[in-house]
Amino acid sequence: MSTTRNVDYVGMFKIAGVLSMLLIVGTIVLYFTKGINYGVDFRGGVEVQVKFNQSVGLGELRSLMEENKVPMSQLQSIGDEKQNEFLLKLETDKGGDLNAVSNQVSEVLTSKYGAGKFEILKNDIVGPKAGAELRTSAFKALFWAILAIMIYLALRFDYKFAPGAIAALLHDVTIIVGAFILTQKEFSLQIVAALLAIIGYSVNDTVVIYDRVREIEQTHPTLSTVEIINRALNETMSRTIITSATVFGVSIVMLFMGGSVIHDFFFAMTIGVILGVYSTIFIAIPMTAFYEKFVNKKAV
Amino acid sequence: MAKGWWFRFTLLAALLIGSLMAITPTFLNLKSDSAFPMKTKINLGLDLQGGLYMVLGIDFNKVYRDEVIGYARKASATLKDVGIESTLGTLDASDVRDPKHSIILAKESDRDAAVAKLREFYQYPLRITKEEGTTLQYGLGREFVKEIETTALSKSIEVIRNRIDEFGVTEPEIVSQGEDRIVVQLPGVKDITRAKDLIGRTAKLEFKFVNDEVSPTALTEWLDKVKKAGIEYKKGERFSDYVRAINTHLVNDLPKGYEITFAKTVSKNTNEITNLEPYLVEAGTALTGEELQEAIVRIDQQQNRPYVGLEFKPNGAKIFEQITGANIGKRLAIVLDGNVYSAPVVQGRIAGGSAQITLGAGDYNATMSEARDLALVLRAGALPVELVFEEQRVVGPSLGADAIDKAQAAALAGSFLVLVFMCIYYKLSGVIATITILLNVLFTLSCLILVGATLSLPGIAGIALTVGMAVDGNILIYERIREELKIGMTPYEAVRTGFEKAFWAIADANITTALAGICLLNFGTGPVRGFAVTLLIGICTTVYTSYFVSKVLFEMYVGKGDRKTLSI
Repeated sequence: MSTTRNVDYVGMFKIAGVLSMLLIVGTIVLYFTKGINYGVDFRGGVEVQVKFNQSVGLGELRSLMEENKVPMSQLQSIGDEKQNEFLLKLETDKGGDLNAVSNQVSEVLTSKYGAGKFEILKNDIVGPKAGAELRTSAFKALFWAILAIMIYLALRFDYKFAPGAIAALLHDVTIIVGAFILTQKEFSLQIVAALLAIIGYSVNDTVVIYDRVREIEQTHPTLSTVEIINRALNETMSRTIITSATVFGVSIVMLFMGGSVIHDFFFAMTIGVILGVYSTIFIAIPMTAFYEKFVNKKAV
Repeated sequence: MAKGWWFRFTLLAALLIGSLMAITPTFLNLKSDSAFPMKTKINLGLDLQGGLYMVLGIDFNKVYRDEVIGYARKASATLKDVGIESTLGTLDASDVRDPKHSIILAKESDRDAAVAKLREFYQYPLRITKEEGTTLQYGLGREFVKEIETTALSKSIEVIRNRIDEFGVTEPEIVSQGEDRIVVQLPGVKDITRAKDLIGRTAKLEFKFVNDEVSPTALTEWLDKVKKAGIEYKKGERFSDYVRAINTHLVNDLPKGYEITFAKTVSKNTNEITNLEPYLVEAGTALTGEELQEAIVRIDQQQNRPYVGLEFKPNGAKIFEQITGANIGKRLAIVLDGNVYSAPVVQGRIAGGSAQITLGAGDYNATMSEARDLALVLRAGALPVELVFEEQRVVGPSLGADAIDKAQAAALAGSFLVLVFMCIYYKLSGVIATITILLNVLFTLSCLILVGATLSLPGIAGIALTVGMAVDGNILIYERIREELKIGMTPYEAVRTGFEKAFWAIADANITTALAGICLLNFGTGPVRGFAVTLLIGICTTVYTSYFVSKVLFEMYVGKGDRKTLSI
């Protein structure tokens, strides 16, 4: 990055806008057709992760549970099927005793395979009330985080910066949710944590460039808004690329090496890092120029 | 050197020594009796070391109901003291959150006097809701309800802690969440079923006299009537809900002040109810487990069967003696959590204050462990409320071990990649960045240890993120310094301006991320909070290391301005 390039990022806003709109509309369509695969955290129910010492097939396990009338809603193998590791999701009718259902699973497995032949790696039970509350608290956390960031931006910088930053955040969050719907990965509390981390990153990127915009505004008051913004983007581009590349690198290493427990978290993070950079450069910052144009027009 | 450099350098050195000491016990895995001055190790989350996490909800409705029934007896006795005769009326539990009970006066003309007396005596706990003919109906006082709730919550926590202490778990965590929740964390627990059973069991022991005036056929007829009305016990439902439904349905049939309860036999293998024997017992109770002094496992020598021996406190012994003396020939049911364990006939006044709970037949070892757990919960005290398992997370120890290995390896690999890149891309300055980033991780870990926070998997993710932020902080400064060098500044000036101009970008970026972290901390639960805590600590250490520590090191590197080139 020895020479500062001069790329017209603001000019690409329209193309980027169309692309983003397509992705957002796609997410909305997916939301209504496929729906979010909520994890046990939000849906309530029982999740049992079990690993066998011997070879057990998916079909064998399914018919065993059906024979014993275990109210199973989903069964999947974790990782390679040869690892003999499975995730069972159970649901009861309203008011059913989740605890009893969860015990039933280990009873059925013990009577079929014998104690010590399998290990319950994880057993999560979330009652319907707790599930509903976790959902609200997660939503609240997201809402307040975005609001707090907006207020901070408005106070620290200028109100004209806030809409672009918020649009970029909503854009990132929506499209990541879309990715989760598309892959039907489980949307759990951990993913909400990932979304918040992404929001933090995305704003981080945006703020660094706003900072530069403000600096150029002060040192070069004669430049037009579009010129200032393009200049700020170009000047900070090397930093943007290096930072994103390193975070992306860490994220992708964690995604492939980090094991099943944190896999989904870093799936969200990896997509989020790319989206964060894209939305900062092509949405948040250029939007400031358009917002200003709109307000100026009104003022005239 | 710049102004105050030595001071800042000394501060850094002191922090470094402090942090190294803080993490020593964790990294060298020191035993608690070692001579090293610091003892605390890092607190690993349940996802990393295995264990049980649960959220228990308190079912207050039953407490309201018990209180309201309990006051009928007391109120009736109070009225009798001033010469007003009355009998116990019925329970109206149509609003489960505000149950009401009535007292039937012998004479309607006593009503005003009775109301006045009750107001005088029970103004705080009760509120009179209806005065009609000979009927006086009351509910619980508003303030009193709040008191019941807070007492029930703190008492429940205390009882659970007692039980867990007897059960033997290292570093259990039992805290309240909001007004009606208890969070229990038991790291490293192996026997999850037993732990859950010990915690969730109400262990409410009551002694109730059986109404033998009602014939067994009448009992059967009532139960048939209930069955016809479609009230049946379904597997998976709470048994106590079923019993409650029966009594609500039969409220006009049963003799006043009595209710139906069962002796329930459950098969050990299938967990299914094999036999239900109905009893008609007093609704209120003369004596409860509160009056217990001791509960010990004893062995019946003749039958070689374990039982639980009970010793009452002096006051309880007195009540026991009095009620057995007044009810010779009647059966006294020993009811535990609504289930009749036995109902021996009272042969005579029982002095000395001891009783026993006999357990069902079965193999010796099973009965023994049942007796042991029962004695344990009785000793630790009854829960004042029924607890509902709202959320439970069990992580097997091997998943935890696997998770920590993989996450650690990945975090190391990721960090290594970044550090190597920094050293190549920024040369000597990259080495400075590497030092500050390593310091950042060190400071974050030692802060976690010092504040006693828990490191969970999302927490490791939080550290990975702060490393990213720290790298960004360095990059911001270095890119700035490069820009300043390009416009012809000397290394000394470039470093000074670079740091100055990058400061607000770093601060703003970290503050906005911190805002998201604070929101997580406030609204998140369990594992998400762990992430938030590491993130917030990490942000503080990031700002310190990647700005202030970098500055100290850079000032050392460029010296007083005589350096001509900068390796950046």
